[in-house]
Amino acid sequence: MITPGSKYFFGLTGLSLISAILYMVLVNPSDLGAVALFGLAASGALIGAMALFTRDGDVYTDEEAVAANAVAGPPSFWPIVFALGAAIVLTGLVTVSVVFILGVAVLIGGGVEWAIHNWADGASSDREFNTFARERAISAIEYPGLAAVGLGIIAFLFSRVFLALSKESGTIFFIAAAGAIFVVGILIASKGFMKGAVTVVVAVLAAVALIGVGTFAALSGERHELAVAAEEDHFDASHRECGEEESEHYDHHANNTVSLRSAVTATIFVKDGKVYAEAIGMTKKVDTITIPRSNATSVMFRNLDEEDHRLVVNLGSAKVAETGVVEKVGTCTQLTGKNQEQVMTLTIPKPATEAEPYSFTVPGATGEIKLVVP
Amino acid sequence: MSTNELTLTPGNALDVAKGKLVVAPTQSLGAVRRPVNTTGWREWLFTVDHKKLGIMYGTVAFVFFIIGGVEALFIRLQLALPDGRILSADKYNQMFTMHATTMIFLFAMPMAAAFANYFLPLQIGARDVAFPRLNALSFWLFLTGGLILNASWFLGGAADGGWFMYAPNSGPVFSPSNGVDFWILGLQIAGIASLIGSINLIVTVLNMRAPGMTLMKMPVFTWMILVVQFLLVFSLPVITVALVLLMFQRSYGATFFDVSQGADPLLWQHLFWIFGHPEVYVLILPAFGIISEVLPTFSRKPLFGYPFVVFSGASIGLVGFGVWAHHMFASGLGPVSVAVFSMATMAIAIPTGVKIFNWILTMWGGKIWYSAAMKFAIGLVILFTIGGLSGVTHAVAPSDTQQTDTYYIVAHFHYVLFGGMVFGLFSGFYYWWPKVFGKMLNEKLGSWNFWFMVIGMNLTFGPMHILGLQGQPRRMYVWTEARGGEGLFNFGFWNMVSSIGSFVLAVGVLFFIINVIKTTRNPERAPLDPWDARTLEWITTSPPKVHNFDRIPVVHHLDEFFHRKYVEDEVTHTMKQVATGEELVRAEEAAADADIHMPGPSYWPLLLSIGMGVLGMGVIYGTPIMVVGGLIVLFSSYGWVLEPSVPDAIDFDTPSTDGHTKEIAPLG
Amino acid sequence: MSHSVSPHTSEKAMDIVNNVKASSHRIRNSIATIFGVVALAGCATNAPQDTWQPKGDNAQIINNLQWIVFPMAGVVGVLVFALAAYTFWKFTDRGQPIPSQSHGKPIVEIILTIIPALILTVVGVFTFRGIFELAETKDTEMIINVTGQQWWWEYDYPAQEDQGITQPIISSGQLVIPVGTKILLRETSRDVIHSYWIPALNGKKDAVPGRINLLRLQADKPGIFAGQCTEFCGLSHANMRMEAVALSKEDFAKWVANQQKAYTPPADGTLAKEGEGVFLNQCIRCHQVNGLKKADGTPAIAAPDENVYSGAAPNLSHLMSRNTFAGAIFDLLNKKCRSDVWNASSETIGEKYLAGVSESCLNANDLRGWLRNAPAMKPMYADPTKLVKSGGKYRGMPNLGLTETDIDKLVAYLLTLK
Repeated sequence: MITPGSKYFFGLTGLSLISAILYMVLVNPSDLGAVALFGLAASGALIGAMALFTRDGDVYTDEEAVAANAVAGPPSFWPIVFALGAAIVLTGLVTVSVVFILGVAVLIGGGVEWAIHNWADGASSDREFNTFARERAISAIEYPGLAAVGLGIIAFLFSRVFLALSKESGTIFFIAAAGAIFVVGILIASKGFMKGAVTVVVAVLAAVALIGVGTFAALSGERHELAVAAEEDHFDASHRECGEEESEHYDHHANNTVSLRSAVTATIFVKDGKVYAEAIGMTKKVDTITIPRSNATSVMFRNLDEEDHRLVVNLGSAKVAETGVVEKVGTCTQLTGKNQEQVMTLTIPKPATEAEPYSFTVPGATGEIKLVVP
Repeated sequence: MSTNELTLTPGNALDVAKGKLVVAPTQSLGAVRRPVNTTGWREWLFTVDHKKLGIMYGTVAFVFFIIGGVEALFIRLQLALPDGRILSADKYNQMFTMHATTMIFLFAMPMAAAFANYFLPLQIGARDVAFPRLNALSFWLFLTGGLILNASWFLGGAADGGWFMYAPNSGPVFSPSNGVDFWILGLQIAGIASLIGSINLIVTVLNMRAPGMTLMKMPVFTWMILVVQFLLVFSLPVITVALVLLMFQRSYGATFFDVSQGADPLLWQHLFWIFGHPEVYVLILPAFGIISEVLPTFSRKPLFGYPFVVFSGASIGLVGFGVWAHHMFASGLGPVSVAVFSMATMAIAIPTGVKIFNWILTMWGGKIWYSAAMKFAIGLVILFTIGGLSGVTHAVAPSDTQQTDTYYIVAHFHYVLFGGMVFGLFSGFYYWWPKVFGKMLNEKLGSWNFWFMVIGMNLTFGPMHILGLQGQPRRMYVWTEARGGEGLFNFGFWNMVSSIGSFVLAVGVLFFIINVIKTTRNPERAPLDPWDARTLEWITTSPPKVHNFDRIPVVHHLDEFFHRKYVEDEVTHTMKQVATGEELVRAEEAAADADIHMPGPSYWPLLLSIGMGVLGMGVIYGTPIMVVGGLIVLFSSYGWVLEPSVPDAIDFDTPSTDGHTKEIAPLG
Repeated sequence: MSHSVSPHTSEKAMDIVNNVKASSHRIRNSIATIFGVVALAGCATNAPQDTWQPKGDNAQIINNLQWIVFPMAGVVGVLVFALAAYTFWKFTDRGQPIPSQSHGKPIVEIILTIIPALILTVVGVFTFRGIFELAETKDTEMIINVTGQQWWWEYDYPAQEDQGITQPIISSGQLVIPVGTKILLRETSRDVIHSYWIPALNGKKDAVPGRINLLRLQADKPGIFAGQCTEFCGLSHANMRMEAVALSKEDFAKWVANQQKAYTPPADGTLAKEGEGVFLNQCIRCHQVNGLKKADGTPAIAAPDENVYSGAAPNLSHLMSRNTFAGAIFDLLNKKCRSDVWNASSETIGEKYLAGVSESCLNANDLRGWLRNAPAMKPMYADPTKLVKSGGKYRGMPNLGLTETDIDKLVAYLLTLK
């Protein structure tokens, strides 16, 4: 049952799979060569499968009657798409990789459509059946493919809008959009309210609006804070300032997203410029927090003052291996506004030396909380 | 495609009277000829017949039952004496993990699926399930998942984190072998199987009932299966998510349960038990359904309080989603959560109690026939009650903090699952064996089977109550005499009793196997209505023909079949027989429909399952294998969508002159 | 059975409570004689982890609930089985006609729904009260941090002036507590989830990494109470035990004083001094001995985080004041001395426990075996070739390849760690 054409392509698949594996084992498992060889294997398999399913474009090989099939189908524009794809691929080779990838997509899409179109044209002497056969064969590829592309575009456009709007207006925008979709959905679901044509018009309008807004947003770029933040790179974990805040747009709102309230060993407060602490299980305020060594432990910092504060933990000092300079060890939270909180997760491998005990302090507030690691 | 007569290959006649369905290869689309219903192994590999799939489900599940049972025997051997040396710590941990996983996912669920597959369409008067090829896919995916799970024994060791697989102990550092990866992928694939199966059965019940069968005229077994499928649809996605998280943590370096990255390991417990608790009802409700058929049949009375049993089943299912945290009373939830879940757990005892009373009241005033099936059903009622009552003792959360993770819990859930579920399934075996295979299982051997199992089960699990309450924790590869107490009845005594009991239990199961072999060799055919049964599956031949019913029955009563046989005497209010079951079956045959179209066999479910298996192996053994698996999956999905579920008209002989054609499986 | 009533209950309420408890005593005793004889006849005597032998307030609260729900379940069970048995016997097929096809009586159903609902409501009310009583932490008198890791427990006592603890105490295996004191354990874990369970004192509570879980203990009388990790925690889960040692307040003060005693190095020229050298060479990589100094006089600080995945190994300061080692599965005392302490009366146990481990009482066999090849005695991930996924770090003590003379020296040294 395996047709000669498919045999060729499956052979190609097998060969390229073997060479891809050899390439990964012998040369380099992670560079473009392996990807290309796997790509070749995937393409070979896809085309082989199509050749197999379409019996090399010959539907009823064992039926003599098929010889009589000479009814020409409607003209096809897929060869043009295919050629266009080839052109884009070539353009991509000399310009940017995105164009190349787009070209490959167009090329494969056009090729598949063309092949199936062509096969279906010769499927039988019955035009109606040929149409049916073509749709049955191509829908299985077209629908998932188009749905994936469509969803990708929608998600991408929405993300552009999100990044361009400020946080507050973004929230409002999306509540409004979600509300509108919900209302329209209800209208469509309650039959008779919106006729088919109206639905189509609404959908087209929505699509046009999304494309328009999305494109505009993409062109206008990310909002100011994000752009600055990207430059300052303070999303990087190593970017810590335990003194004066240097970044212009640190994320104030991150303070409101603490989800670890139930898993902290102690909470350190600042109120009226004074530091105090409460520990889980202890009824009174504590001035010492004991945490087991080498145990990931979370401490929450809650600012009850008007001005911004941050919690700093001092873990003695140590010699930096590369430079030989003795530096202070410790870390801190971000600046935290009034009634906001932050969590600091610590893993401390060694007890403090007597000369340099560990402690929590809050710059700009008096008092310290001793940290004991037995 | 009337115009394609040109392309017809000569097809064979559809011979309804002989119960033989022959489908010619379709050539309308696709290169690979669709398989024809032939004899031999192909008939089984490519079948989409719910009955064949049901038998395959049952056979494979029973094999896994034996495997899981042998694992249990190893565990009991190890624990028979203090400081056991039969298994190493590592092997023991694998053994109890795989015992639970095998029994739950590879025996209990698929065995229930076997019964559901076989009898649900028969009980509602349908010719097949709504999506026959998906049904086949369910089975093959389950088998693939089961094979992957058990392949781990030979590929570096099985999973060793317990069936609950608590994070972070399931992480790559704490469980460095590939066992947990096999476990994740095996369960994930078996989970797809269950999810597909449940959607299939829900659609079947809601759309394909025989005319006249309203929901409240449906047999209780079908009802319970329906409830179970809803439980699965809502709970499986949760475990799927959990397994995906764990897979990414183990295979791709994610940190969902890594505390030093700010994660909370209790997330896993919540996800697992939101699935895991409804899962308990997924396991037990089919058995409840089975005995709700068996008890009325052998008491010659309808189920007492049918609507109460149905609604208590449904409410067990519903409340079952709100009690998951009672598995976590010791994990530090805080008193408010503990109190709420404690109360909810007590509440679930109420509908369960209703069921037990209804079963007893079904027998009350009846005319009880103690067949093997009935014995097992009664066994369930009694043993499940014991398990239910011990369950109430740990619904009391403070009391549970003394009992959880001890052998008391092991005792409790084995009374519920072995005494409950397994006894229910065995009751089903004896009750429906003549229907499925046309032969009666030996009643005498059945009696031996029952008594050995009942005694063995109580010897095995009864002492565990004492062991647990006296402080023997579970999941320990050795126990020590230092904690075993003094006197004759110390831990040594009870552990030994339990181990001996487990072998008595094994002998009981052996009796069943002997019974099956003996019955297979016995040429004697079973009567068509051996139990004087009550529901629609008995209104056709044994085994049923490919198309189940010669004519779709029209339903007027709950227990339709019984009411066709008997009418109530106006004066004495006792029942008078007006027809035998045999006569009714013959009458249906005489009025058979002509030209019944059945769904055609297909290669794709099998191929797709193989592709999924290869894809799963790729997660463990590297991208190239994943690519190959992915290609197989893509290829077979494409082949599947090209192939119509019911072979086109051209695949059949031309319709008979009256043009009367019965289409089935209209939903594809 | 003794009851202590929480102090904030007013006196009148106390009277009522006592009356109720007294009558429940009578009922309980009569049930105990019927139900208990049947159910408990088959039980082991003196099982150390028996969940029905409360030795403190918290366990007592649980036990009171057990005494409500178990007999209730028992009575319901007996009634149901009696009904079932009667049904089986009465309605056996004796040739009677097929009965009328009655589908049941809703009134029966409703009654049979209400009865269990009422029973459960009663149980529920008591349960509800018990849950909140057990969660009470406001009147805590002493705090101990409990940290689980594969496969042993670490205890650290934060400084608490009112309990005489002026500097943190760190210990493992045996939890030492004063009697009659409301103790709050703050549990956490360094690796996987463990569960702390001393059945005689309270139910279990998981030690979850990243969380602090609270568990209250209170012992009425001095004694040793056995426990076992009850959350499956990997390979050697079975080998993770613990004991709680309750001492009288005076004895506890002596224990605290001993734990806070400064380190005294062994005298020069003794075998123990050579053992200290071996210790500084080998053991100090993971095991801390507070106050131990290196040859150059600087403090010797262990770095278990560089060698063990959980980042901790038992602190061995005052090792010989404990009776057990290696996750409390091996005794430091030989059989005779151990059973002497274990079976001591509540009056004498303090003295016997505080005597610690003398050379004549040492269980040299197990200790030497452990030093010789630890992984052979307790399954652990200590094979250096199989540590890829943990970044080369051990999970448990590896085989150090010590010579017999090294072991002699080490044992001599360890015996000085009183």
